[in-house]
Amino acid sequence: MNKQLLASVILVPFAVAAAMIALNQTLNMQLLASVILIPFAVASAAFLLEDLKQIGRVVAFLSWMQLGLIALIVYPLFAGQTERLWLSADFYLTRMDACFVLLTGVVASCALTHGHLFYQREMLAERPPTEKSVRFNYMFAMFFVLAMYAVYLCKNLGWLWICVEFTTLLSAPLVFFSRTKHALEATWKYLIICSVGISFALLGTLFIFASGQHGAVSGGTLRIDELIAIAPKLDPRLLRFGFIFCLLGYGTKAGMFPLHSWLPDAHSEAPAPSSALLSGSLLNCALFSIWRISEVVAASQTSTLMSNVTVWLGTITVLAASLFLIRQYSLKRLFAYSSIENVGVMLVAIGLNAGWLFFLQAVNHSIAKVSLFLLSGNIVQATGKKNLPQQTGLMASAPVWAVLMTMSAFAGTGAPPFGTFLSEWLILMKAMDQHYYVNVALVIIGLSLSFIVVCKHIGKIILGAPNPNLQYFRPLASSAIPALLVISSLCLGLFSGAALWSGTL
Amino acid sequence: MMAVGVYVLFFACVLLLPPCVIGVIRKGKALMQGRVGAPLSQPFFDLFKLLGKDQTVSQTTTWIFRSSCAMNLATTLIIAGIVPWLSFKPIFPGDDLFLLLYLLALCRFMTILSALDSGSPFGAFAASREAFLSMLVEPAMFISLGALALIAHSTSLHVVFDLSLPCSTYDVPVWLAAAAALFLGSIVDLSRMPIDDPTTHLELTMVHEAMIIENSGKNLALVEFTHFLRMAVVYGLISQCMMHAVGRLVEFNQLTAAIVSVVSILGMAVLTVWIESVFVKLRWRSTPEFIAYAMTMSFFATGGALIGDMYARHGL
Amino acid sequence: MLVTVYEVIGIMSAVVAVLMLGSRNVQIQLSMYAIQIWLIVAETAFFAWQYKQPHFYIIALTLLLQRAILVPLFLHGIARRLNVTRDPGMIVPAPLTMHLSVLLFGLSFFVGQHLPMPSAVSGPIVIASATGSISHLFSGLVMMLTRRLALSQIVGFLTLENGVYLFALSQTDGLPLLMEMAVFIDILGAVMIAGVLMFSIKKSFEHIDVSRLKELKH
Repeated sequence: MNKQLLASVILVPFAVAAAMIALNQTLNMQLLASVILIPFAVASAAFLLEDLKQIGRVVAFLSWMQLGLIALIVYPLFAGQTERLWLSADFYLTRMDACFVLLTGVVASCALTHGHLFYQREMLAERPPTEKSVRFNYMFAMFFVLAMYAVYLCKNLGWLWICVEFTTLLSAPLVFFSRTKHALEATWKYLIICSVGISFALLGTLFIFASGQHGAVSGGTLRIDELIAIAPKLDPRLLRFGFIFCLLGYGTKAGMFPLHSWLPDAHSEAPAPSSALLSGSLLNCALFSIWRISEVVAASQTSTLMSNVTVWLGTITVLAASLFLIRQYSLKRLFAYSSIENVGVMLVAIGLNAGWLFFLQAVNHSIAKVSLFLLSGNIVQATGKKNLPQQTGLMASAPVWAVLMTMSAFAGTGAPPFGTFLSEWLILMKAMDQHYYVNVALVIIGLSLSFIVVCKHIGKIILGAPNPNLQYFRPLASSAIPALLVISSLCLGLFSGAALWSGTL
Repeated sequence: MMAVGVYVLFFACVLLLPPCVIGVIRKGKALMQGRVGAPLSQPFFDLFKLLGKDQTVSQTTTWIFRSSCAMNLATTLIIAGIVPWLSFKPIFPGDDLFLLLYLLALCRFMTILSALDSGSPFGAFAASREAFLSMLVEPAMFISLGALALIAHSTSLHVVFDLSLPCSTYDVPVWLAAAAALFLGSIVDLSRMPIDDPTTHLELTMVHEAMIIENSGKNLALVEFTHFLRMAVVYGLISQCMMHAVGRLVEFNQLTAAIVSVVSILGMAVLTVWIESVFVKLRWRSTPEFIAYAMTMSFFATGGALIGDMYARHGL
Repeated sequence: MLVTVYEVIGIMSAVVAVLMLGSRNVQIQLSMYAIQIWLIVAETAFFAWQYKQPHFYIIALTLLLQRAILVPLFLHGIARRLNVTRDPGMIVPAPLTMHLSVLLFGLSFFVGQHLPMPSAVSGPIVIASATGSISHLFSGLVMMLTRRLALSQIVGFLTLENGVYLFALSQTDGLPLLMEMAVFIDILGAVMIAGVLMFSIKKSFEHIDVSRLKELKH
């Protein structure tokens, strides 16, 4: 493709956004325009700069800058100055959305920073990827992150659907990076299964729209706040259909059992930074959409039935994932199934109508999962193989990685003193409060089983004689981000307990 | 006086219309292929020629072979009598839908027997193919005619095809679907393209031609005329269905209905010309897939009839 | 019960969707999909004319440009370049899926009866259009589940999306204009990406038979 042509196509919105920044009066709009500008800047950089290392540095820097800008924008929400940040009637931010946006920003910045190192090393491998695929990867990653920010901004079910579909489309090229047969198969499955699921989600959205038309508002509405306001008057049959279809549809995207079959393939075939992005933030987006709709349902007449359905689906997902974990042969597939399990726990939290617990679990899971995927990316690059039996003796060959991997695995499966333990504990307590005794028992069985199994697998990797195939590289740089994440998970575990008991959340 | 006129006109149509139809088809195909083709009245001349010729009968045949042609012609004349394939025909007794289908099957049965009786391998081969195809297509025709009977609440064909009965909006799709199903079924039943090429010279690909390949002289004339008459009757049924579908919008009086029915039979012939010239012959293994389309349309016809019935009863 | 022109067109489109299932030939599938989408465009135009909602003309025009012209041409081009003509065999034979789809058509009629949705614009209960849209959904789903060729799965997905769009049109008088546009762009993007993927699959695997994409197991 003609580089100049591509660059000029990308630079046009760049120029438009720059004009927006210059011409806009309010600081907030300027900041927002800058946030939108950044992916375009990355895209143009990705194609105009010659050196891949430079691109990587630019991307890392710009992603942290984007995070900083977003933090600046949402600061008023946390300082208690405003209730919501208004863009239009369909797009505004409340405090919880802002928390999720910040989480996504952190995940993206960590993944892309580590990705800089990862892709550098990848170009030195036996069969390096083409330069073009790396450039496209950076570009799509940034646009994908922007689409995810947009999901949290939407307060209108129609726009929510559109943004979630955009995330699907923009993440498919990420999975397709290595252009191998397995990657192709994984991308095809991802695209097809998620597209069908998303169509059902659209059908569900239409049902909810129709229930609004029937119930109270004459033209029907898709806005969340209006729907919540008229929720008791919504037609219950249509609302039920709508919720179930949306649950099925967005649940496909989130990796709910039995529609999860795309998830292990996609997350294991994507390169490590992209896997981290997918596991760490895309699942949160899908679950957030389910949360939005359950907000509407919770305010209506059919709330108990829907809570039951969601909690049971979450429980079954946890159990199924823990059973699947028992026989695993690949490192990244192992962690992908662990993601499915955490999705189940988050579904339980959503079903219990506990928004902040859902967020807590999401934070802890994302942090641990990103660290796990980045480390497994390191290991796969070092040994050149993906299968578990061929990766042994990590403690002897690469001690820093081994320690971090163990700690992240504990964090990911919910062992104290990490934050995941606390959030899972709180969710289970809330479930007991709402009399879901059977579900609690089953979830405990699932979580324990997965903890045992993951420890067994990790133990096999870590212990043993030094691995002759492993080429340990740059221990400091390659473990910086995972170490940061592990420490933050530890802090969340140790210190958020105090915050919670004092009743802040 | 009118009744005698109708009888005379009807018998004239039975004798003269079938060769006209086949003449139109052959001339049309020739024109589409860029040839001048034989004149429209050529089939008449062919029939007369064959009636004057001597027969060559194989020595291995029995009375079945010798009498099947006459039996077929008799059965087809009965069919032409009882089925309302023209709008103006006089009413003969015994016009039941099931009787029509069994009589059509009886014709086919006698043809198959005579093909087997002649002892030639081509005949046997073609007979087995014809049996297979007719087994697949009969349900389609049966079910679509049954759907029409559901609308009229009677299996008597004259009641079903009576133009003076009221036709509601729900019946129009049923008539259209039944017409489509019957048309696709007729392509199989009459062995036209894309199931069977009537002008092929390769015996291994023939379905209908190979069954009558042993006939000659007077028998061949009878067999050919029987085939033409059957074609005219089936096309007449389909055009009656189309007229009923259109009848929701347009009121037909007697004379218009009569003229339209004859003209539409010739119109079906033109449609056959187009289909035979455009489509290629299907592979043998793909013919059941073709028949599946006829089955689907007949299912739609039945579904439509049932739904319309339900609405009529519940008064929605 | 009122049966309007646009509902009749909707039912015709659903019938064409069912007939599309009976063929193994890719060209025929694409042609029938094109007929289906042209009928849906006509239905949208009739809806706009009958209920005096001019913004549906814009939606009809967009549908025409994007899905009636652009997508079939794109898929035709892909089929030609990938050199596929027939489906290499199916899990369930094609005619049987067509018959199954007819049964599901009947089922969708019963489902449509039980959906109580008088919409504000189009007046009394419109069951025929609900039947048409739900049967599009079923046909698309059956096509996606029973086909082995990647291209056929994409056509099935597009039929599914047609069903969802018709459902919106008939039961809720359509989504707001801007949202419909964005939905169309999304679907177009999905088809484009799927097209690119099919090229890569053909290059790597020498076939686009998705039932043979089985190398990634548990």
